[in-house]
Amino acid sequence: MDAHAATTAVEAGSKYQDLAWMVLASPLLCGAGSWFFTRRLRGLTAGFNIAGILLSFLLGVVLLGMSGSHPLAATPFQWLPVAGLDFTLGLQVDRLSMLMTLVVTGVAALVMIYSTAYMHDDASFSRFFCKLSLFVFSMLGIVLADNLVMIFIFWELVGVSSYLLIGFWNERPAAGDAAKKAFLTNRLGDFGFILGILSVWAATGTVNLSQLSEKFAANPAILGSMAGITGLLVFLGAMGKSAQFPLHVWLPDAMEGPTPVSALIHAATMVAAGVYMLCRVFFLYTAAPGWPDALAWLGDLGAGTILGHIGAFTALMAALIAVQQNDIKRILAYSTLSQLGYMVMAVGLGAAQGTPASGMFHLVTHAFFKAMLFLGAGSVIHACHHEQDIWKMGGLRKKMPATFWTFVIGTAALVGLPPFSGFYSKDEVLATALETCPPLFVIAVLVAILTTFYMGRLLLVAFFGEARSEAASHAHESPPSMTWPLLILAVPSVAVAWLPLGDFIGAAFGSHGHGHAVAAAGEAHPIGVGPLMETVFGGLDAAIFGPFNHNALAAAFGIFAALLGGSLALACYGGVDADPLPRRLGFWASLLRGKFYLDEIYSGLVIPLHDLVAALHGWIDRWVVNGLGIRGLHGSFELAGRVLRLVQTGSLQTYAFVFAAGLAVVAWFLLR
Amino acid sequence: MNLTTTLLLTPFLTAFLVLLVPGNYRFVIRCLALLGGLVTLALGIALFERFDPAGAAYQFEVLLPWVSSSAFRLGLHLGVDGVAASMLLVTSIVGFAAIAISWDIEKQSKLYYILLLTMIGGALGAFASLDLFFFYFFNELALVPTFIMIGVWGYGEDKDYAAYKITMYLTAGALIALAGLIGLYALSGANSLDLVELQKQVAKTPLSATTQAFLFPCLLFGFGTLVGLWPFHAWAPQGYGSAPSATAMMHAGILKKAGLFALIRVALPLMPQGVAWWMPVLAFLCVGNLLYCGFVAMRQRDLNLLIGNSSLAHMGFAFLGIASVSLVGLTGTVLVMVAHALLAALSFALTGWVRRSAGTLDMDQLGGLLRRMPFIGATMTLCFMAGCGVPGFGNFAGEVTVLFGAWKWVPWIVVAAAWGGLVVGGIYMLRALRSALHGPLADGLKDVKDAAGLWRQLPFVLLAAGLVYFGIFPSTVTRRVTPSLSKVVELARPTGAKAAGPQAKAVPAKPTH
Repeated sequence: MDAHAATTAVEAGSKYQDLAWMVLASPLLCGAGSWFFTRRLRGLTAGFNIAGILLSFLLGVVLLGMSGSHPLAATPFQWLPVAGLDFTLGLQVDRLSMLMTLVVTGVAALVMIYSTAYMHDDASFSRFFCKLSLFVFSMLGIVLADNLVMIFIFWELVGVSSYLLIGFWNERPAAGDAAKKAFLTNRLGDFGFILGILSVWAATGTVNLSQLSEKFAANPAILGSMAGITGLLVFLGAMGKSAQFPLHVWLPDAMEGPTPVSALIHAATMVAAGVYMLCRVFFLYTAAPGWPDALAWLGDLGAGTILGHIGAFTALMAALIAVQQNDIKRILAYSTLSQLGYMVMAVGLGAAQGTPASGMFHLVTHAFFKAMLFLGAGSVIHACHHEQDIWKMGGLRKKMPATFWTFVIGTAALVGLPPFSGFYSKDEVLATALETCPPLFVIAVLVAILTTFYMGRLLLVAFFGEARSEAASHAHESPPSMTWPLLILAVPSVAVAWLPLGDFIGAAFGSHGHGHAVAAAGEAHPIGVGPLMETVFGGLDAAIFGPFNHNALAAAFGIFAALLGGSLALACYGGVDADPLPRRLGFWASLLRGKFYLDEIYSGLVIPLHDLVAALHGWIDRWVVNGLGIRGLHGSFELAGRVLRLVQTGSLQTYAFVFAAGLAVVAWFLLR
Repeated sequence: MNLTTTLLLTPFLTAFLVLLVPGNYRFVIRCLALLGGLVTLALGIALFERFDPAGAAYQFEVLLPWVSSSAFRLGLHLGVDGVAASMLLVTSIVGFAAIAISWDIEKQSKLYYILLLTMIGGALGAFASLDLFFFYFFNELALVPTFIMIGVWGYGEDKDYAAYKITMYLTAGALIALAGLIGLYALSGANSLDLVELQKQVAKTPLSATTQAFLFPCLLFGFGTLVGLWPFHAWAPQGYGSAPSATAMMHAGILKKAGLFALIRVALPLMPQGVAWWMPVLAFLCVGNLLYCGFVAMRQRDLNLLIGNSSLAHMGFAFLGIASVSLVGLTGTVLVMVAHALLAALSFALTGWVRRSAGTLDMDQLGGLLRRMPFIGATMTLCFMAGCGVPGFGNFAGEVTVLFGAWKWVPWIVVAAAWGGLVVGGIYMLRALRSALHGPLADGLKDVKDAAGLWRQLPFVLLAAGLVYFGIFPSTVTRRVTPSLSKVVELARPTGAKAAGPQAKAVPAKPTH
């Protein structure tokens, strides 16, 4: 398995790509080191952990600059060598992994700086930073992994660090419950993921990504009738991490964790891991569709199309729910769900076009603006003494200008207004839907309208009007260590208009050898530092109006949706003190506020069913195995003893009789 | 003196020295026991370290003939292959940890340490013996103290019943296995129970198909009962629930593995046709361990009963690896054995601390312990995470290897195993963490004490570090076990039917005899 990786490394001639190990190790070493040695010195601990992440970021920049278009493999680590199954841990350095490394470490560093102020009064300040570093380490493992088993290893570790961080305030029952729920829901997804990996391995004999990619390119039908099932099993893993229906229920509850955690893990990175992983194993979805006999009626339907529909459904459902939430973090959480649905839809539908670039593009832009929105929400919550109900805020616009303006930029990016980043990526998502599956395009536009509507509601209610509570009226701007990360995060949301990020991502997939991917990447320029600079300083108008050249209909509908949703929000929520929708919509509003009662259905139906099975086994173990079996066996020996004692009467006649009877029986057997 | 012999003698010698100390010198007794444990630990590490993966099949060999007539030869034949070296290492680790956590034993501490050291010595002897008579003898020598310790130092109202039940079960299992071993001696035509001799003899004249068909289940179910193979598992949870922590650590961690060890070493290589007929049965039975015991664990409210059932579930992975009769699967089994030895020991050490400190293991009465006991709580989180198969710990390495090893042969059972390990295991472990550690502090637990100071924390740190070490460097084990396991696979599945599972062998096997 590692032979190929090793040769690639030799071909490259030098070993600078081994720096990738340093990218991975730096957060772990700094986190663990500061936990063991400087835990009691809070400032130093925070400094160490931030430095560890920044080092990874810088190394990521260096590697991105050096790697060029040719993917490189770092020297692998022999983890578990068994004959015929050499599990190695190797790192793949290419544009995709380096871009994602920069996203993860960049957002993580800013979130950590922000946390020095946000978590300042917490007794477990040091523990918080060390756990964040553990998370970044795990996440980078997924990003850099060159094989499926390694992805799975770090996949699980991300689940663990998310568990630890959601349950950071575990003395609160709600936090403990939410952590448990997040981990277990993710476990359901992982169950499918590992079976998917086994299925891929059984058919191809390898779990190495680049080898798999080659094998699939050589023979798209390599999975045969298992193609569809395998694609869906692997997708189950993404369904857990990226919170797609029906495994989405953990994400809103995960908001019980500290807000910086929500920003980093549950908005920007961990939840994006599912989409990233789908991009890594995209060859599974471009493979020839195939189903076992029992499912033959599915015919030519590819797993990718199914993904597209699940993603679209998740996007719509979550956007509807977000319309009636009142907790600022929950609104953003459902918005994240909805955007993740977009990404999954784009990746799934991208299978028909041969590239998942549009989904990946949206992932990157979303990571920055959603992290910014969450940190903004954290700033608001911090200022309002941990009040999270938007109806108890109001009028924060003037009191918290930096938070307000960055929040506005984030909202503009999220709803897809030009020239903010979300416009470009959402446009590509819409274009993918329009070109491959028009019904889903309609849903996607509907979601875009809803997005502007609920974000408009959030902005109008929380930041405009008059303060509706004591806490909100005394709110004041957060300290600079919280506002600066917000301002820095705003930069990528604005700057994407000048950067050929979409082309860069398209080219990243083009160089992956999926065959027809290059066609879709279209006019991708060769990207290097030089051409990049040219693009920055020239052709701004082309960058802004580019989407209209690409697919005018999609771009027009995107802007139309944003404007329509915004005006609806203004009409409904301009200068109101209470939500008018519950009165107007009645039952429907409460359905949305109750999140379609999916949590209730799960906790009332699915979980008891599994518990019932367990109870049945417990009952059998107690009464049948331990009761009837053991006590019964014990009893029958007792009984046999008593019966035998009856025979031992001590009377000679009885013995003589038994002896004679025995002889008779033996004789009968012998002479018969 | 030979390293194996020294290792084996150390605990027995220490036990003898303890015997000479007057019973009221508790401190001296404890120091002696600790010292003995520490030396054993050092020797165990040295033996593992010095075992040469590329060397002879059995290393550090010793043969002390005892009986040598032409009809029957018997001798203390010690020798170590990679599997044994790994098991000796974890035995010495767990043994030292078990002595170290016993600081609070006041009642008859002299007898206690003698029994505990005998257990350790017996377990070491079983893993080091190449003569099956001595394997059996040492295994029994280690088992008997278990029963006494549950009876004398055990907990709970049912401890007498638990001691009685575990004795009955394990004696019955051992007897059935003994019948199988005697059958091997009698029917193979070998003039000794020496494993090397037996292998030579069987290579010359294989056992007849009928013999194998009857002897194999004796070993499978006899040794299987010692491991807790479903449905012969009922002794385990209750026995561990009532046992003193050190006993539970040694038994669940180490002694249980002797059964698996014997299956890999004796049953598989000597009886290929028995393997072909009985492994599909084993594959189905291990679903009982994986799922049934997992579901039962979900229902427990007592932490020890939960861990007892979960350790049965883990044994399902070990059995599945054996049933696959593939190099990958068997390697996974050995990894599970090694990792679970440390895991079970750590779990029972932790619950022992909680029971001592909080006075109960009932999860309904526990809660919020993490804030009060940061060290114990964090270690328990780590331990239970390892228990539900999180990567980074040895268990994951073993379990994932087993899944890969068995996938091509019995995919549906692998599906069940993945469900049991990932989902069911996750549910009961996380529920336990939630109710014992998280949430507000439960009533009456204001005075619980954390393990403070290096000396109290050492056994926990040692076991946890072992789990992490084998999680990151499982190659230290796999490199050592590959030579002997590939030999086992070669013998258990002759004529190179490599790709097919045992089932495929069963069909052509019948007409040849």
